[in-house]
Amino acid sequence: MNGRLSSILRGVAVYGLPPAIAFAVVIGLWEAYVAWRDVSILVVPAPSDVWERFFDDPGYFWEQGWWTLYEATLGLIAGSAVAITLAVIMAHSRPVERGLLPLAIAMKVTPLVAIAPVLIIIFGFGTTPKIFLAALLCFFPMLVNALIGFRDVDSGALEFMRSLRASPWSVFWKLRVPSSLPYLFSALRITYPLALVGAVIAEWFTGNRGLGFVVYSAAQNLRTPELFSAIAVLAVIGVVINIALSLLERRVLFWHESVRSTR
Amino acid sequence: MANETQHVRLRGLSHVFTDGREPLHVLDDVSMDVPHGQFTSIIGPSGCGKSTLLRIVGGLLAPSAGSVRIDGAPPRDAQRRHDIGIVFQEPALLPWRTVAGNVRLPLEIDGARRRGTEAESLLNLVGLSEFRDYYPHQLSGGMAQRVAIARALAVDPTLLLMDEPFGALDEITRTAMRYELLRIWASQAKAAARKTVLFVTHSITEAIVMSDRIIVINGRPGRVVADTAVELPRPRTQEIERSAPFLDYADHLRGLLDGAAA
Ligand SMILES: Nc1ncnc2c1ncn2[C@@H]1O[C@H](COP(=O)(O)OP(=O)(O)OP(=O)(O)O)[C@@H](O)[C@H]1O
Ligand SMILES: [Mg+2]
Repeated sequence: MNGRLSSILRGVAVYGLPPAIAFAVVIGLWEAYVAWRDVSILVVPAPSDVWERFFDDPGYFWEQGWWTLYEATLGLIAGSAVAITLAVIMAHSRPVERGLLPLAIAMKVTPLVAIAPVLIIIFGFGTTPKIFLAALLCFFPMLVNALIGFRDVDSGALEFMRSLRASPWSVFWKLRVPSSLPYLFSALRITYPLALVGAVIAEWFTGNRGLGFVVYSAAQNLRTPELFSAIAVLAVIGVVINIALSLLERRVLFWHESVRSTR
Repeated sequence: MANETQHVRLRGLSHVFTDGREPLHVLDDVSMDVPHGQFTSIIGPSGCGKSTLLRIVGGLLAPSAGSVRIDGAPPRDAQRRHDIGIVFQEPALLPWRTVAGNVRLPLEIDGARRRGTEAESLLNLVGLSEFRDYYPHQLSGGMAQRVAIARALAVDPTLLLMDEPFGALDEITRTAMRYELLRIWASQAKAAARKTVLFVTHSITEAIVMSDRIIVINGRPGRVVADTAVELPRPRTQEIERSAPFLDYADHLRGLLDGAAA
């Protein structure tokens, strides 16, 4: 038998089995409780009802999920692009940092989801308000992580480059950018889920498509199996994003302790 | 600038750090002349300002008073000509680059001169050609420090500033590296082409074995308390560490370091 394959199988058994069992137990208890107390399907559906509703029309849920993922991803890209650009400027200029950081912190402590209705008034019912809200939620964690990342460079390596009169440009590309990657990855692990939150909440208010819309309209009409199906798809999207980020991180940050220590 | 006979000229250097709660006076009125090709060690107790002095010479820190001239010009000119190579106590390699990539780094920096040496031959020089594709985390401390030395040599600088380059190594590696560096330094065919080395160390043995001259700094703020020529024949091998003249030098230096600290 192929050694690599068997080691992968062992990995799946060791790391995949315990959560799978835990998940099955939770679903089993839920199913049993609903049957035992005879809970109304209008309040909490049994997992089997959710399962039935989902497989009644899986394409519908995946399509709505696709919209949400699309808006969240565009929001993530837009928010990160602005945040990283500002972080670059702030990392090179203390006055700019002093000017902008308080504003960014004010943004952080504001529950930004409250802005959702305003965004819809401004941008209408298309994808723009969803992308905008997702971008807003991503902005602060990305800014702070990128700023710390660009600053947290090895002082010996920096002095070595300075002793050759390296320009800020080459210090940035050869030293600051690679040094910041671990921080950017931790930021992504926070901001991608936040982008999903932003997209879903904006969808509540616009009522045409996306999982946020499905959740909202299903709740309005007490179609709880549909509501739970939508939530399950959101959970799957979240897990898949997390796994994808982990795999990417392993490839890109092979040199960093955080990745090496898990080997 | 080439008509200057001294490579490095320090006049009345003093430095006060003012970023702490109280101003910290670390160097006081340090002057010296270092001719081209000389191997000079700077020795002194911890905290007397040796690293600060080296950073000032390298143009990484502006002194509070006094002047630094490298080939008759401020350090920034030498920096611009890529004429300074620095090695610190920690190798400070870029962990995302291979050994060869780290050695090549200086040649990728804007304005790198074409006279730079190929990474290949530098790795040969430090005995690491087989490890060219390794990453820093796959190297031992001694190997990483050899990469740092190769990197400092990549632009073929005339002035090497070394701040306790073997300070983080174990005794055995450290002794081996000492003679290795001497070999590299002496590998220049013509003695006139040899690099000027300013070598900071805590080790009396290291200072005597390697240097043409030893400068003792002591006190707070640090001052030059002695400036001794080491007249031992080259090439030097480990036997020298048991020779009578070596032991005399060691006694003499020990006396200077103890006496001034008291
Ligand atoms: N950037 C800095 N800001 C403030 N104080 C500093 C700074 N760098 C060094 N010092 C202080 O200056 C003094 C001399 O430091 P320096 O590193 O030059 O000593 P050293 O002789 O190299 O010591 P060691 O042998 O332990 O390396 C120390 O008291 C240190 O705390
Ligand atoms: Mg020091």
